[in-house]
Amino acid sequence: MNATKILDAKGLACPMPIVKTKKMIEELQSGDILEIHATDKGAKNDLAAWAKSTGHELLESTEEDGLFKFWIRKR
Amino acid sequence: MSATVKTAQQIFDQILNKEQMFILDVRNKDDFKDWKIEGKQIDHFNIPYFELIDGVEEIMDKIPTDKEIIVVCAKEGSSQMVAEMISDQGLTASYLKGGMKSWSEYLYKKEVYSDEKMKVYQFVRVGKGCLSYMVVSGGEALIVDPSRFTDIYKKAAEDEGVKITHIVDSHLHADHISGGRILAEETGANYYLMQSEGAVFDFKALENYTKIDFEQVSLEVIAVKTPGHTPGSVSFFVNKKILFSGDTIFVSGLGRPDLGGKVREWAKDLYDTVYNKVSLIVDDVIVLPAHYVDFEEEVNVAGYIGEILGEIRKQNEMMSNQSEEDFVEHVAQSASSETPPNFEEIIAINRGVEEAEEEKKQELEIGPNRCAVHHTN
Repeated sequence: MNATKILDAKGLACPMPIVKTKKMIEELQSGDILEIHATDKGAKNDLAAWAKSTGHELLESTEEDGLFKFWIRKR
Repeated sequence: MSATVKTAQQIFDQILNKEQMFILDVRNKDDFKDWKIEGKQIDHFNIPYFELIDGVEEIMDKIPTDKEIIVVCAKEGSSQMVAEMISDQGLTASYLKGGMKSWSEYLYKKEVYSDEKMKVYQFVRVGKGCLSYMVVSGGEALIVDPSRFTDIYKKAAEDEGVKITHIVDSHLHADHISGGRILAEETGANYYLMQSEGAVFDFKALENYTKIDFEQVSLEVIAVKTPGHTPGSVSFFVNKKILFSGDTIFVSGLGRPDLGGKVREWAKDLYDTVYNKVSLIVDDVIVLPAHYVDFEEEVNVAGYIGEILGEIRKQNEMMSNQSEEDFVEHVAQSASSETPPNFEEIIAINRGVEEAEEEKKQELEIGPNRCAVHHTN
């Protein structure tokens, strides 16, 4: 997937992955895709819930060896 | 001002003291709906932390100025952030150390009974509604339905100056990971479980025991086979005074028989247990169950969860004057509610067919226990 930007949130604990995601998405244009890398398990639920409440679209998420990747399209 | 930290123990002590609290729960809405810190004196407000990243101004009108404010989240981080934001607004707020994870793992010890032969302690796992016990007699201790926090029982035995020599599990638990096997390895104690529960590691099969004697004082632990919740459920009748009822009888209900997928078959077993075995036990026996649903509803005047059998009989219409048919029908109807979170995986671990790391265990156990079906009015 063609991400406009990649956010490295590895090693960060809640709430930082979401705080940083929010900050970075504010810098993007509508339709841009942000790719997020996180290691905090809680990020999975939280990002999905956050995207739902803000209207951004969680396009895909993957998990491999404790690394979570998310792709979010800015609304 | 900066936010202060509160431990699970401090919060529980405040609940016991019936202190007023306002809990701002910043977990996701689903998690909050599922499971929260409960108490009569507690007011809740739930808003996910990610809606507060830019500030708490818009919720300040929801936050009281005349009550203690405690912010809670799943693990601690976001509640600390929100508590600090509230403190910046000029109110005093604290956050729960370790989040709901630590709430789930906090155990509170309470003496429930003592005579010249024995002393009984109850361990209340506040965040999950799970109960475990220690029976002390002479220089030995028996542990009933231990949680996986085995240090707590070892510490309690040390405080009493006794050695843990026997450990019993009333059944293969579906809501929490048993500490029985680990505690037995750590202490060298005998570990008992019904063979028919299907565990694949070494233990003493309760089928081979009608009673477990320990210490020179005549403390008899009689294992009463009480199938119903699971086929191999057992209760422990101690000195004809106390009935550790496992998940068979609760203060406010009976154990649900549906988790094995054979609800009617197991409900018949439960009927047989209640009507033909428990009915033989006299009214003044103290019933100490493995779970409760609502602490404040079920805690008695002495401060522990338990009730004499006669009182439970009086309150529970399911325990007398019902035909087997009506009983099975009622149980089958009411047992189809939500299951304990992750129960299949927890059973597999307790059976010894699956292993899990500490972190995985924490995750699996988060949430309520949901082991009862309620039959009281």
